[in-house]
Amino acid sequence: MNTTSTLSAYKAGPPLLSVHGLHKRFPGVHALKGVDFDLLAGEVHSLVGENGAGKSTLIKMITGALHPDEGAVKLAGTRVEELGAHERRARGVNAIYQELNIVPAMSAAANVFLDAPPMRGPFLDRKAANTQFEDLCARLEVSIPAQAPARSLSIADRQMIEIMRALSRDAQILIMDEPTATLGPSERQKLYGVIEGLRAEGKGIIFISHDLGEVLDISDRITVMRNGAVVDKGPRSGWTRERMVHAMVGEARGTLEPRAAETLGGEVLRIEGLALPGRLSDVSLAVRKGEILGIAGLVGAGRSELLRSLAGLEPTARADAFAIDGQVLPALPASVRQAIGAGIVLVPEDRKNEGFVPLMDGDSNVALSDLGSVTRHSFVDRKARHDLARGVAKAVGFAPERLSTPVRNLSGGNQQKLVIGKWLHIGPKVLLLDEPTRGVDIGAKADLYRAIRDLTKDGLSVILVSSELEEVLEHSDRIAVLTGHTITETLDRKDATMERVLSLIFAQKEAS
Amino acid sequence: MTQSSTTSNPATVRPKFSFDGLLRKNAIAIVAVLLIVLVTLGNPAFLSFFNIANMLSQWAPAGLMAIGMTYVIIVGGFDLSVAATFSFAAVMAAMVGQTMPPSVAFVAAIAVGAAVGAVNGALVAKLKVNPFIATVGTGFIVTGLTFVLTGNVAFMVSDPGFSWLGANRIAGVPYSGILLIVSLVVGGVVLARTYYGHVIYAVGGNAEASHLTGLRVPLIEGSTYLLLGALTGIAGFISASQLSSAQANMDPNIMFDVLTVVIVGGTPLGGGIGSIGRTAIGLVIIATISNGFVLLGISPYYQNIIKGVLIVGALVLESVVNRKNAAS
Repeated sequence: MNTTSTLSAYKAGPPLLSVHGLHKRFPGVHALKGVDFDLLAGEVHSLVGENGAGKSTLIKMITGALHPDEGAVKLAGTRVEELGAHERRARGVNAIYQELNIVPAMSAAANVFLDAPPMRGPFLDRKAANTQFEDLCARLEVSIPAQAPARSLSIADRQMIEIMRALSRDAQILIMDEPTATLGPSERQKLYGVIEGLRAEGKGIIFISHDLGEVLDISDRITVMRNGAVVDKGPRSGWTRERMVHAMVGEARGTLEPRAAETLGGEVLRIEGLALPGRLSDVSLAVRKGEILGIAGLVGAGRSELLRSLAGLEPTARADAFAIDGQVLPALPASVRQAIGAGIVLVPEDRKNEGFVPLMDGDSNVALSDLGSVTRHSFVDRKARHDLARGVAKAVGFAPERLSTPVRNLSGGNQQKLVIGKWLHIGPKVLLLDEPTRGVDIGAKADLYRAIRDLTKDGLSVILVSSELEEVLEHSDRIAVLTGHTITETLDRKDATMERVLSLIFAQKEAS
Repeated sequence: MTQSSTTSNPATVRPKFSFDGLLRKNAIAIVAVLLIVLVTLGNPAFLSFFNIANMLSQWAPAGLMAIGMTYVIIVGGFDLSVAATFSFAAVMAAMVGQTMPPSVAFVAAIAVGAAVGAVNGALVAKLKVNPFIATVGTGFIVTGLTFVLTGNVAFMVSDPGFSWLGANRIAGVPYSGILLIVSLVVGGVVLARTYYGHVIYAVGGNAEASHLTGLRVPLIEGSTYLLLGALTGIAGFISASQLSSAQANMDPNIMFDVLTVVIVGGTPLGGGIGSIGRTAIGLVIIATISNGFVLLGISPYYQNIIKGVLIVGALVLESVVNRKNAAS
C-alpha cells in the first residue's frame, strides 16, 4: 500500500473542489470556523478528526445539504449552492455515508440504478441494467449477483453497490464517510484496491476514517480538524501517527500506558465444547478473575455469536461443560435473564439499536438493568435512581451532570460508558464487550479502556471482541484466535504479536 | 459534539429561542385554552357546572379507553379492535344484567374486555403479528361474535341498580365522571412514576435494548393490551348503564374518538413518547369541540372536518418539532 500512495504524489491541475473560509453556526455552536479545503483529480484526501470536530458539517456543505453562513464551496469553479441536487450529481459529487442508502428488498442491480434506471421507451430495460451492472463489477473487480436482493448481501457488498451507483453517475468526487468501520481485514484490502483503481482513473476521493493506520496507507494528503477548524494539513510524506493524534486531540491524552501484567484470581468462567450449528464448533475457553480475554478473528468468524451464546441470545447453542466460579451449570443460559442471573452481561455490537433507550436520560438507562433496586412500593424513587447512576458514572468516567441528557444526544463514547455502566451496579462476574469502541473518538477510546481496566482491578472479568486487532492486542491479558468456527490457539500477551496473530488467523483460513 | 461546553453555552442562545421553545412545548395546551375561551365567549353556559358534569359523563367511556390506548401506543403498539370490544362488553353487561346483579354484569364486561385484550396482547407481543393487522382481525371476530350472540336485538335492563354507575350523581357530579378523573390521575401517576410505567417507556423507546437489558418485553408489551381491553370493558359497561340497554352496534365511531384524543393530545404513534397528561388535554380539546358545536348551534357535519384538521395539525406539529430538534 505504501509504495502505491507515494507513487501517485499529487498531480497538478485545477481542483475538482475548493472550499474557502467556510463558517457555519447552529444555535449555541460555531460548527465551522473558517475552513479551507480542496481536492484535486486523482488524489485521496483524508479528513481526520474526532466526532464533533466538524467533518460531517463540512461534508454536508460540500454536498449542498447545508448552506454556509460565510465562505464558498466551488465545484470546478461554480458555487455549489447555485446547483440543484441533480446538477450537483451531474457534476459528480457523491457521498457514501456510513448508514448506507440501500433498499433492502430490491435487487443489487436495481439498487445501483435506483434514481436513473436504464429505460427502453416507457419500460425498465432490465437487460441493459444487468449489462451495465456487470461492467461496473468488472471495473471494480468484484462479483456480486445482479439479481440478489440487497438485504442478502454483506455490508461490504452493499458498500460496493453505493460505489457502483456513484460510478454509474460518472462521479468525479467520491466522499467516503468511514467506509471501513464495518469491514473485516480482507474486505478492507479489497476496498483499498477499489480506491486505488478510482484514483488511477482520475477521481477525487475524500476519505474519512478513525483508523489512522489506513489513513496513512492510502492518502495523498491529510487534513486534520478540531473544534470546527483545520488544525493541520499537508502531503502524506510529512505525516506520522503521532502528528495526527496530536493534531486531533491537541494534547497527548489519546495514549494509554501499556497494560501491566495483572495478578489474576481463580477461574470465573469455563466453557468446553461450545457449538452453534453452522457458526461455531468445539469452542473451549476459560477466563480468570480480573482477566481481559481478547478474541481475535475475522468478521463473520463467529465472534459475536460466541458472545451471544454466552449471553443467552442463541437458543440453539450447546456446550459440553459450562461452569461459573467453579460451579458447574446444567446448560448455557437460555435467555438474557438467565445469563444475567449467572453473572454474564453483554455490551452489544449495535450500540444504537441494542444498547440503550435513546429518548431516556442517563439515570433511566443506567437503572433499567435493575430498576427494582430503586423502586419503593412499586414507585420509582428518582433520587435513589440518580444516586445509583451517579455512582456508576463515577466508575466509568462519565460526567455526572450529563446524566439528565437524553442518551441519543450524547457522543458515541459517552453512550458506550453508560451501556457498560448499566451493568456495573448489578455486580456482574463476566462482561462481554462486542466492538466496544466502534465509532468512538480516540480520546474517548482511551477513557473507555481506562475504565474497563479499573473494573478488572476490582475483579471483573472481560471478554473483548474488536475488529481493531491493535486494540485487542493492547488491552488483553490473553488472546484467543477464533477461526474456522473454533478457537485454534490461545496466546499470552507476551507471545501475541500482530504478525503471529494474523498468521494464525489466515493460516487456518487457508487450510480450511 | 463531544464538548458539552460548546453545545450548551447559554451566552450564545438568544432569549427569543426559549420563548419559541415554550410555545412549541405547550402548543397543544394553548390550543385547548383558546378553544375553551372561544366557545365560552359564544355561549357562557359552556363553563356552567351542569354542562361540565354532563360532558364528564358523556366522555367517560372514550376517556377511559384513551387512557389504555395511551399505554398501548407508548409501548409501541396500536389497537383497532376497541370499538368492537366496547360493543361486545356493553352487550355482555346488558345480557348478564337482565338476570343477575349489576356487580356481576360489571365483572362480566371487564372479563370479556380483558379477554379480547389478552388475545391481542398474545398475538402482538408473543407471536409478533403486526398490531394493525392483528387488531383489525380480532375486531372483526369480536363484532361477528357480538351479532351471533345477540342477533342484533337491543337488550333492555330494568334493574335500577344497573344504571347506578352510568346515570347517578353525587352532589351533581356523575359517578362515571368521577371514575374518569380518578382513572386519569391514577393512570398518569402509574405511567410517570412507577416501575411499570418506566418499563413501558423503555420498551416503547427501544424494545431490543430493553430485551438485552433483561426486561420481559413480551409481558410488558402484552399487558398494555390487556389493560386497554379491561378499560374498554368498563367503558362498555358505563355506556350500557347510561342507556339501560345495549346492542351489537353501540358506537362504531368511538374508536376514532379515542385515537383522536390520544394523538391530538400529543402521544405520537411509534412508542416511547407521550403521557396521560397529554391525553387529558386531548380529551378536553375533543370534548370542547363536540360540545361547543352543539352549544353554538353549528351543524355537526363541520365537526368531522375540525377533528380531521386537528389530527393532521397535531401530526404536522409533531413532525416540525422533531425536525427542529434534529437540526439543533
